[in-house]
Amino acid sequence: MVKQNLQKEVPPSVPWRNLGVVLFFLLMLFGAYRYYQHATSFTVGLDYFEPEFQTYWMNLLYVQLVIEFIVFVSIVGYLIVTRDRNVMSITPQEELKRYYNLFGYVIVFSVIAYLAASLYTEADAAWHQVTVRDTDFTPTHIALFYFGIPTFIIVGTSAFVYAHTRLPQFHNRVSLPLALVIAGPIMIMPNLGFNEWGHTFFYAEELFAAPIHWGFVLLGWSAFAAGGFLIQALTRIIQLSRLPEEDLSLQK
Amino acid sequence: MTSEKELIDREDLTAVMTLDQQRSVFKNIDLMVIPLIVLLFAGIFSFHFALTVGDWDYWVDWRDRRWWPLVTPLSLIVLPSVFGYLLWTRLRLPLAGTVSIISLALAAWVSRVMNFEVFAGFPLNMVSPSTFIALGLILDCVLLLTRSFFFTGFFGAFLFALLIYPLNWPLMAPFRVPVEYNGILVTVADLMGYEYIRTAMPEYVRIIEHSTLRTFGEAVTPLTAVFAGFLGILSYFFWTWIGHVASKAVWIKRIF
Repeated sequence: MVKQNLQKEVPPSVPWRNLGVVLFFLLMLFGAYRYYQHATSFTVGLDYFEPEFQTYWMNLLYVQLVIEFIVFVSIVGYLIVTRDRNVMSITPQEELKRYYNLFGYVIVFSVIAYLAASLYTEADAAWHQVTVRDTDFTPTHIALFYFGIPTFIIVGTSAFVYAHTRLPQFHNRVSLPLALVIAGPIMIMPNLGFNEWGHTFFYAEELFAAPIHWGFVLLGWSAFAAGGFLIQALTRIIQLSRLPEEDLSLQK
Repeated sequence: MTSEKELIDREDLTAVMTLDQQRSVFKNIDLMVIPLIVLLFAGIFSFHFALTVGDWDYWVDWRDRRWWPLVTPLSLIVLPSVFGYLLWTRLRLPLAGTVSIISLALAAWVSRVMNFEVFAGFPLNMVSPSTFIALGLILDCVLLLTRSFFFTGFFGAFLFALLIYPLNWPLMAPFRVPVEYNGILVTVADLMGYEYIRTAMPEYVRIIEHSTLRTFGEAVTPLTAVFAGFLGILSYFFWTWIGHVASKAVWIKRIF
């Protein structure tokens, strides 16, 4: 049972600086990738069987996959190893601070959602209307499915693991809405496999609204569960921000 | 295992002592949640819109009288319905249509310029997005005035789907001007399409003006609009129910 000492506890602040640093880094990363994509897609990215394609795009693919795997294991592993083993005893101020951190993760998740699901996705739409495809590894696919979506998965999984290792409400139980929100991007990868198989074997058109792409739509709808997650988090934050009724002398 | 009692015991704990501290928490949450919602809407809606409407809205020559006025509002009504349930029942904010469609519009404009014009080289007036914000406003206003999902579905969703064509008519009219091209009557939009060949150009792929009664008097477009309106009503009720399901705060013991 946590004993509350209202006189001494200081309310937490939002980690704006850390959030700003992470967002700045990600925007620079996605921006630099985008610049590279603009500079090399229509010059050396049109023909998979050219040596330049292997140099400029396939090497990038291999390197980014390795880096993403290392980053994923590092972040998620760190969060699990450093989990709070006495989470039910944290003070309410610490709990509120951790909710601020969780929302920080979710903000980063949202920024990447916009970049990957809007900007990078429609780059693929534009690309395919110009060039059709020669293989499943096009510059826009390498950028979207092997950089954008994995980054999305890394941040989403980190948010999920953070919540379930550091917040009392999430201790020893699973938030189904948050699990659904994270499951969507994860399942995009196997659906990508099905999609590329379809385009390779029987679906030569590249209309974005074609039925072969509807699996992606369904997985995108997993984000509707974000509402349920917000309800879970905000309900607890409302409790944590309730004024203490028993000591009115503390209120201004 | 965490007991329910431990969680209930924690419900009485509070992190604030004064009114100023409480207000500070509310302000911090607003500053975090509002951008988060706008970005999530922009991402989800863009993705959903791209993969359901897609080429119908990407190209000015794909905005026909049959498919575009039918597919587009049915796709657009999804997020306003889903999140409208959450925002209205929990926060009494009739904002889902407006906020979600404005988020989509911002994301769409950035994408059309960056991807279609700068990256792929299409002219901007060929790939500019249609306008939809007024539709979201209408839906939200009906909800605000009637305070009822029932009447919003019947009137708001009907108007939402019905009005997409007249709303965009001023934007599309210049591209509907007829021209003669090699002895064939085409529109300016068609001519732009012939100049900018895409993989979606062949007639068997381009799903525009496909129907039987193409010369159904002058009622082609109004007929499609009214049909879209009725389907919009059904869609609104279905997706509002999905919003009800998706906004439940469900906890489970384990995933595997």
